[in-house]
Order: sequence, then structure tokens, then C-alpha cells
Amino acid sequence: MIAELFYRRQALVLGTLSMIGIVVFWQIAVDTGFINPFFISTPSQVAAEFITQFEDGSVATNVAATLYCFAWSLGLATVVGIILGMLAGWFADVESALEPFIWFKYSAPTVAFYPLFVAWLGYGTPTIIAIAFLFALTPIYANTLSGIKNTDRDLARAARSFGARPLDIFLRVALPGSVPVMIAGLRLGVGRALTGVVVAELFGANAGLGYAITYYGQLMQTTKMMVSIVIVIVLGVVLTQILSFLETKTDSWRVDSSR
Amino acid sequence: MRSAEMTAEPAEARQLSFSFLRPSRSAAIGTVAVIAFLVLWQIAPGMGWVNGRFTSRPTEVFLAAIDVFKNDNFLFHARISLTEFFAGFILAIVVSIPLGVLLGTSKIARYLIDPPLMALYIAPTLVLLPIMVIWLGIDMAPKIAVVFLGAVFPIVLNTMAGMSEADPRFLRMARSFGASKFDIFTRVLVPGSLPALLTGLRLAVGRAVLGVIVGELFVSQAGIGYQLNLYGSAMRIDRLLVYALIVSAFGYTLTVLVRSVENKVRDWRSK
Repeated sequence: MIAELFYRRQALVLGTLSMIGIVVFWQIAVDTGFINPFFISTPSQVAAEFITQFEDGSVATNVAATLYCFAWSLGLATVVGIILGMLAGWFADVESALEPFIWFKYSAPTVAFYPLFVAWLGYGTPTIIAIAFLFALTPIYANTLSGIKNTDRDLARAARSFGARPLDIFLRVALPGSVPVMIAGLRLGVGRALTGVVVAELFGANAGLGYAITYYGQLMQTTKMMVSIVIVIVLGVVLTQILSFLETKTDSWRVDSSR
Repeated sequence: MRSAEMTAEPAEARQLSFSFLRPSRSAAIGTVAVIAFLVLWQIAPGMGWVNGRFTSRPTEVFLAAIDVFKNDNFLFHARISLTEFFAGFILAIVVSIPLGVLLGTSKIARYLIDPPLMALYIAPTLVLLPIMVIWLGIDMAPKIAVVFLGAVFPIVLNTMAGMSEADPRFLRMARSFGASKFDIFTRVLVPGSLPALLTGLRLAVGRAVLGVIVGELFVSQAGIGYQLNLYGSAMRIDRLLVYALIVSAFGYTLTVLVRSVENKVRDWRSK
């Protein structure tokens, strides 16, 4: 336990150092004229621009717009993915019926259908939510499915010997047992939902981080663009870390017979 | 009751039902589901449930496919997209495997590079597309860059994981029999990390295909993504679906291919 803590600290210290190193290198490379600031801006300019955008409220507007779509799409994907995953995990026939569609969904780059969604739902929020929903759905569905399917057989048998009905086994054994796997699926879904929202916003939106990136990109204003790019990256890391934390919290629920 | 049985039954019974009943049954159900979907899709516009202008029909899509292959300059656009895909992907392999090996074998390098690597792996690298366009123009170069960025991180991280998770018993045994560092690397670490490397490649395929399409949809003068955008804005849903299906088939085939190699390697390793 203590050794593990130290191990983590060492990784943290070296990791922080390398992050600082990248920022310093970036600044120096531009200051010494090695790279043209037009292409990449500098950390100090980006920081100054961030403060400006923060004060005029555009950071808040864009982050709010992105998070709004993100929350809707992830919420929908979670509900639909978990319900479908539970049905497919419990009834083998449902799994067989869904499998071709899931395979198709898995291998098709969802964005290829972007123009179709624009035709159906119009530019803006509904299309963004639909694309991000499809991005996030697959891992949540697949993990719920495998969680329910891999229910600990000994536990299920023990429960049945004590007179549990199938519904009891589902609610008391299969469902709690698969929560950690579901959370892992959710963690993957978070990253994919964010990708979906931002990519869809790149193409057409009135607000949001992806919109800001395209907008300033078309004006060739690298510094302003970098602000949103950095925010997206930080957002991705923070949201995934939150889910990783939840994952370790629920890990103790895991009833894995192989351990 | 039956399904409860299924999860609770002992292993032998499960395998029995698997080898005799399940494959045919599940394949039949899958086929029926797909046919039902196609039939529903075909008749829905006629029944007035949906507007056929927005959904097209399977038969229309089929005819459009023939039309696209015959006289839509399909090979020209496909060649451009394929060039972007393979240029970016091969570049990613060339860079990421040595990097993965370095990170997998050196702890200090791993601690230093892991956090920025992880951040870029988690974050949508596609947000870098507009800046790539500023740097590299609107031709193939920014798409190749985006494909590269999408593919490089899964391969690096999986190669690294494969290298650093080599079975310590093998390492110790090789060392006690007098293996040099080079021997250990070529005989233990490389074969040991091959499955993980292939998993990385498989994940990278999906991201790379996505990169080509997003890159071309964003800004382009030719390519499959360009055609998608063209027919999307012209409301030619049938042709749009043909191109979308071609992209899906390409991604699917490549994924299945890598997965089969992956399974072969796993089998070979367990022998």
C-alpha cells in the first residue's frame, strides 16, 4: 500500500515535470524564433487570451454549450446502452438480434452519417447530441452486456439453491456484480461522447468549444483557437479521471470468481 | 427461466449448447433481424410513416451503388482517401512501435512521457484538425496528420503495456540460462508484446478511418468524405448511404483482419 503510494507519487512528480518541460520548451522555441508564433502561438499568449476570454464570458458560454450537449448525449447513451445491454446480456436471443447492428455501428465511423443527421435534425444541438450519443453508446452497451453475461455462476447457483427466482438473481446477483464493468464502459463512453460533441461542433454549431476552434481557425487566429483546444484536452482528462475514480470506488463490489 | 439457466449452468452444458444449438440459432435470429429492418425500411416511406426523401430505401441505395461504381469517379475519390489513410497509418506505425518499445523498457522514459501521452490519448485528437489545416493547407497533408495523431497513441500505449507486462518468470528464467539483454528483448519481450501491439493496431484502425472521414468532411477537394459532404448537402440520401456503407465495410474488413491475426498470435503463443 505504502509502496504503491510512493510509486504513484514518483509517476506524479516526473509527469508534472514533463508537462512543465513541454510548456517551457514551447515558449522558448517560439521566443528564440525557432518556430513562427503565427502557427502555434505561445503559452504566455494563450494564458493571457484565456483570461480575456474568461472575463468576457465566452469561455463560460462555450464550455456550457459543450457540456450541455455532452450531458444529454452521455445521459441518453447511458440509459439506452445499459437497458439494451441488460436485455442482451440476460436474453441470448436479444443479443443475437442486436449483434449485426452493433457490429455495423462499431465498424462504421459515425461521422460518415453526419450529413444524414443534418438532413433529419437540422444544424446545431440535436445533430450534435445524436452524433455524440452514437459515439458513446457502443462501449456502454458492450460492457453492460459482458458484465451481465459473465455473472458469477457459483453465486447464481447458490442463490438458486436458496430459492431465488430468476428476477431475484438478476437484481441481486447479476446487476450488482456487473456495476464495475458498467462503470468502466461509462469511462470509455465519456471520452467518446466528448469526441463526438466536439467533432460535431467543428462542423456546425452556434456555440461550444468545437465551434470556437473552427471559428478562430477560419480567421487564422491561432492563440484564440489554442485556448479552446487546451480546454477540450483538459476537460477530457478531468472527466475521464472522475470516472476512473468512481471505477476504483466500485471495484470492491466486483464478484469475480477468477480472483 | 431458460435464460436464468443459461447463466447458471455448469461449463460443460454451456459448451454443449454452444456447439450444437447456439451458432445456428443466433445466426438465424441475427439474419431475421437484419431482414426485418430492411423490409421495414423499404415499406416505411410507402406507408407514409416517414418521409422517403430523408430515409431513401434499400432498393434505391442498391441502385445508387451500381450508379456510383459505374460513373461517379469512385476510384479517383477512393484512391485519395486510401492514400491518406495508409500514409498516416504507416507513419504512425513507424513512429509508435520504437517509441512504445523505448517506453516499455525504460521506467524513467515511461514516467516522463506517459502523462502527456495519456492526455492526448484521452482527449479528442480530432480537435487538432483546424490547426493542422492552418499548418498544412487543405490538401492531403492535414488528413494524413490527423490519421497519424489518431493512430499513434493506441499503438504506443499498447506496445508499451505489452513490453512492461512481460511475465517476470520468463525474464528470470532467460536470465538464469545466461541470456543477454538483446536475447531477452528478441526472444521474450517481442513475442510477449505482439498480441498487445496487435490490439493497439486494431484500435488504431478505427481512429484512423474516423480521422480520414472527419478530415475530408471538414475541408477537402476530393475523397470519400468530400463526396459524403457533397451528397449530404444535395440531399441525395441514397448516394450518401452508399459512401457511408463503403467506409463502414472498409473499417469492418480491416478490423476483422487484424483481429484474426491477433487471435492466431494468441493461439500460437499459448502453445
